[in-house]
Amino acid sequence: MSAETLTRPAAITRDAIRDLFDDYYATLDDVRLHDWPDFFTEDCLYRVIPRENYEAGYTLCTMQAESRGMLKDRVTGLTRTQMYAPRYYRRFPTAPRIVAEGEGPDAKPYVQVRHNLLLVQTLIDKTSDIVLSAVCHDKVVVDEGRLRFVERIVVFDSEMIPNSLVYPA
Amino acid sequence: MNISVRPPEGRVWPADADAAVPYWVYTDPETYAEELRKIWYGPHWLYVGLECELPNVGDWKTTTLGEKPVVMVRSAEGEISVVENRCAHKGVKFCQARFGHSQELICPYHQWSYALNGDLQGVPFRRGVKRQGGMPADFDLSQNGLNRLRVEEVNGVVWATFSDETPAFREYLGEKFWKHYTRVYDGRKLEVLGYNRQHIPANWKQMQENIKDPYHAGLLHVFFATFGLFRADQKSAVDIDDEGRHGILISRKGEQEKTEAMADIRNFQGDLVLEDPRVMDVVQEFPGEETVGMITIFPSVILQQQVNSLTTRQIVPKGVGGFDFHWTHWCYADDTPEMRLRRTRQANLFGPAGFVSADDGEVLEMTQQGACGSPDEHFILQMGGREIAPTDHQVTETAVRGMYRYWRKVMGL
Ligand code: FES
Ligand SMILES: [Fe+2]
Repeated sequence: MSAETLTRPAAITRDAIRDLFDDYYATLDDVRLHDWPDFFTEDCLYRVIPRENYEAGYTLCTMQAESRGMLKDRVTGLTRTQMYAPRYYRRFPTAPRIVAEGEGPDAKPYVQVRHNLLLVQTLIDKTSDIVLSAVCHDKVVVDEGRLRFVERIVVFDSEMIPNSLVYPA
Repeated sequence: MNISVRPPEGRVWPADADAAVPYWVYTDPETYAEELRKIWYGPHWLYVGLECELPNVGDWKTTTLGEKPVVMVRSAEGEISVVENRCAHKGVKFCQARFGHSQELICPYHQWSYALNGDLQGVPFRRGVKRQGGMPADFDLSQNGLNRLRVEEVNGVVWATFSDETPAFREYLGEKFWKHYTRVYDGRKLEVLGYNRQHIPANWKQMQENIKDPYHAGLLHVFFATFGLFRADQKSAVDIDDEGRHGILISRKGEQEKTEAMADIRNFQGDLVLEDPRVMDVVQEFPGEETVGMITIFPSVILQQQVNSLTTRQIVPKGVGGFDFHWTHWCYADDTPEMRLRRTRQANLFGPAGFVSADDGEVLEMTQQGACGSPDEHFILQMGGREIAPTDHQVTETAVRGMYRYWRKVMGL
């Protein structure tokens, strides 16, 4: 594919989106955290937000990043400063559904995708727990010749997080 | 659940009374039941919510005080009522949503209806149907309303108490803490930025202790220590009220530099830099040089001012081994958009995924795990000596000692 065709949203095929999500979740499930920010554009918006805030129009998020740099800082905070019990996270996404196509403020064409996500945590000596039951609203663009998230909003129904949300969704 | 081992008969307290606490305070179900009666439903003001959460008459919010579900409702212009969310008929928790708006409170089971202030207004078929059935003639609506709590709204925060003996809120705080309280809650209108909610599997007192314990703050929270947000070598103070029940940690933001004091922090990350430092864009906004004021109001809430992050952190006990933790992040209604954004960004430091407060939830769970196997052992509370008095440093557990002295007094132990 030439670079020209890649800049059209038509280049963002269903298969390519599916591959993006497969890679994304595999990276997180394998805890390759340093590879995670690379799934996002430099000026991305990333939010993990309680449904009640989202519906009330509150922008306050449980986890937020306004740039790839902030995502990297999240990884640094997580790997070098935070203390938490060892755990496994496993993510169960449903198949992505393309809901819209559009152009961002920078005239960059994007495809808007929606899917559900279940995030399950297992701690030592414990049965597995659901950390988040969520719907993800993602905007995917072509950036530097690959698909990336320019926006990812994870809206979670879960009323009560079982203690902490350690890893990203 | 982690309650299996019974505490020793008679609930023995260690001889070093002020500087050691037995682990059964975290694990004994009878102690917990007594705490609900004597503390949560006793002469204490409990945090219910913010006044700004209910802008219009008829707006209501549900919450839980101790283990009792309640409704906070704007019952008239300039009036907020707090009633138990328990129908007078058969005890149905009639309000199920978190927030709502209605002209009256109606129970879905048999549709008894209450005025917004809790007065019973209507009982369907009260006079029976076709002269059959109905309530006895002596059934008095005015005697069968919802249970109403005493309420005080103080500079935008709503407090309630189940007890007639609780002194007025200002007296309950004491003059010293009135001053600490009004530094941030100064009468300006507040506005909600959003909520965070988490369940922490640890005894509720541990959350109070955690915020009364500045010793841990510079050590556990490497992120804080690294960026100078809360450091052992900063000018700081711990204040406690005369009863020992309320506490405040006061500190100043410092720099990211290695000092002698930092040598004790084994994982201090002196080389750590942020790619996008906007989360650390802090502005001085309150009088004085302090940038941190973490207030614990016994027993139900932590009033957080951490640089520009303002939250109420409500504790809802859920049995002896766990509590729900409800964060209300707020701003002043007249804040600039930049200030709102700054506060929202700084929320990344706090809450269930916060760079610093996720540590707290995790370590409290670990404390509960350590405690529940050995209720008859005790923990050490000697940092800073055995005194219970305000200090001008952070290397102390004085406020935790104060809380347990007060706790023992109320519990009669
Ligand atoms: S239980 Fe509420 S009306 Fe009967
Ligand atoms: Fe802490």
